[in-house]
Amino acid sequence: MSIEITSLTKNFGAFPAVKDVSLHIKTGEMVAFLGPSGSGKTTLLRIIAGLEFANHGEIFFDGENVTMKSANERKAGFVFQSYALFNHMTIFENIAFGLRVARRSKRLTNEKIRERVLSLLETIQLSGLENRFPVQLSGGQRQRVAFARALAVEPRVLLLDEPFGALDAKVRRELRAWLTEFHNKTHLTSLFVTHDQDEAFDVADRVVIIDKGTIQQIGTPEEVRSGGGNAFVRDFLAIDI
Amino acid sequence: MASFIDFRNPPGSDRRADSAFRATSEPLWVRRMLIGIVLAFFILFLGLPLVVVFQGALAKGTEHFVAAFRDYDILHSVLMTLTVTLISVPANTLFGIAAAWSITRYRFFGRQALLALIDLPLWVSPVIGGLVYVLLYGRRGYMGPWLQAHDIKIIFALPGMVLATTFVTFPFVARSLIPLMQAQGCEEEEAALTLGAGGFQILRRITLPKIKWGLFYGVILCNARAMGEFGAVSVVSAKISGKTNTMPLEIERLYGDLLFADAFAVASALSLLALVTLILKTLAEWKNRRQFEAGQRALLEPTIEGATN
Ligand SMILES: Nc1ncnc2c1ncn2[C@@H]1O[C@H](COP(=O)(O)OP(=O)(O)O)[C@@H](O)[C@H]1O
Ligand SMILES: [Mg+2]
Repeated sequence: MSIEITSLTKNFGAFPAVKDVSLHIKTGEMVAFLGPSGSGKTTLLRIIAGLEFANHGEIFFDGENVTMKSANERKAGFVFQSYALFNHMTIFENIAFGLRVARRSKRLTNEKIRERVLSLLETIQLSGLENRFPVQLSGGQRQRVAFARALAVEPRVLLLDEPFGALDAKVRRELRAWLTEFHNKTHLTSLFVTHDQDEAFDVADRVVIIDKGTIQQIGTPEEVRSGGGNAFVRDFLAIDI
Repeated sequence: MASFIDFRNPPGSDRRADSAFRATSEPLWVRRMLIGIVLAFFILFLGLPLVVVFQGALAKGTEHFVAAFRDYDILHSVLMTLTVTLISVPANTLFGIAAAWSITRYRFFGRQALLALIDLPLWVSPVIGGLVYVLLYGRRGYMGPWLQAHDIKIIFALPGMVLATTFVTFPFVARSLIPLMQAQGCEEEEAALTLGAGGFQILRRITLPKIKWGLFYGVILCNARAMGEFGAVSVVSAKISGKTNTMPLEIERLYGDLLFADAFAVASALSLLALVTLILKTLAEWKNRRQFEAGQRALLEPTIEGATN
């Protein structure tokens, strides 16, 4: 699914968290939002998901204007920084949630749901853990459950907020490789937020550098790294010219 | 140690309290004396009265005790109390959930004012709560003429008693939910939203299960206060035995009529109810604290867990 964003602005009170952001994301692209903490990356992602509403600007999914649509109509797959798993449900029920709340006419049978959940558990390499509760899993495992839960409803876009931020270096690298592989297989349009440039350059097709709520540069990792950006970008990426 | 802020042990959790104990190091005799005073106070003002109530109830033997509850007026007061409670507790439960939800989930004009106003019934005397309704709906109140013209009786009748009780027990459910819902945040609800769940589905499948013990705690506290309410109800009730007396009002009537054993019999029924409430409350508190801590842990853990992954 392609995403078109036109001059998006979001203020929290008098504070502008996102300022006049325009962006086009092509179908199947993997795009990274890279910027320092507090630059508005999460806010931008939440606006795209419909969890936050912009003061100005519009959003189009595949050409359809979704600006006024609520998050449960947009159904963007969202993976939260802190996973936000349902702690009172088993891993199975966590992943099945989106399928269970589907409108009756579109709801799968219990067998179909079971099939899908078990196959997703296999994809995330957690087969056999379906009856555990989130607190009984490690951080990396929870991250993958959050991922599977988002994928279960077959979203047309995947939004990931610092997906590896809370994990240690080794798990981080493994998951990063896994995500790249997953994306190469499925070509699901994906946006992810990070403040780690290695991660952005390693995983993304294009990198959007954000500071103080505005886009500083958009380009492929090569373009961005080659040093064509403004003073902020050069400073942020520590490029010496 | 004592000044170290331990986020994994939020206020109210045991471990933190333990370290506070260790931090204070008064001489032994001071501690013993303080504990002694507290215990003496407790026995004198809480323990003894409870014993006396049950003793008084059984003073004329169990037969008399049982007979008291066959008395029409007394039975009617039990019925009145149950009726009033059965209306005001559900009403306040619904209000409490709605208020806690709005206050913790939305930013809106008047939010702070609402937060402060929820507590109002705790700050003013219940009698004032009752008087306000007399002023509004009484025969000479603002709405009086209109109500009379339409033959609606609120004051000195059941509707007034329900209103007064609802006023007094207003804060309990909302108050027990607000800190819990604040601690849990709303990320899980947001996650459910992105998965396509509607508002009612989120309430039923995510929010209510997360807050159920806090809610239970608030509801039984609300229930206990509703059943025991005297001040506000006595203002708006006609206090006619067998007609508009609730249990607390009936106790006063019996006592005034020097029917001590009967008064104590009804009092013991109310006390028994309080004891059951206390047990349930303790259970809910314990479960609720675990839910609260689980919520906190879920919010904090990803950053802690990473290192031990
Ligand atoms: N709900 C909110 N209310 C007020 N300010 C907010 C809110 N959410 C984010 N902000 C502010 O907006 C700015 C951008 O936040 P965020 O999008 O989370 O940044 P990032 O994800 O890049 O670290 C920050 O200064 C933050 O304090
Ligand atoms: Mg962020």
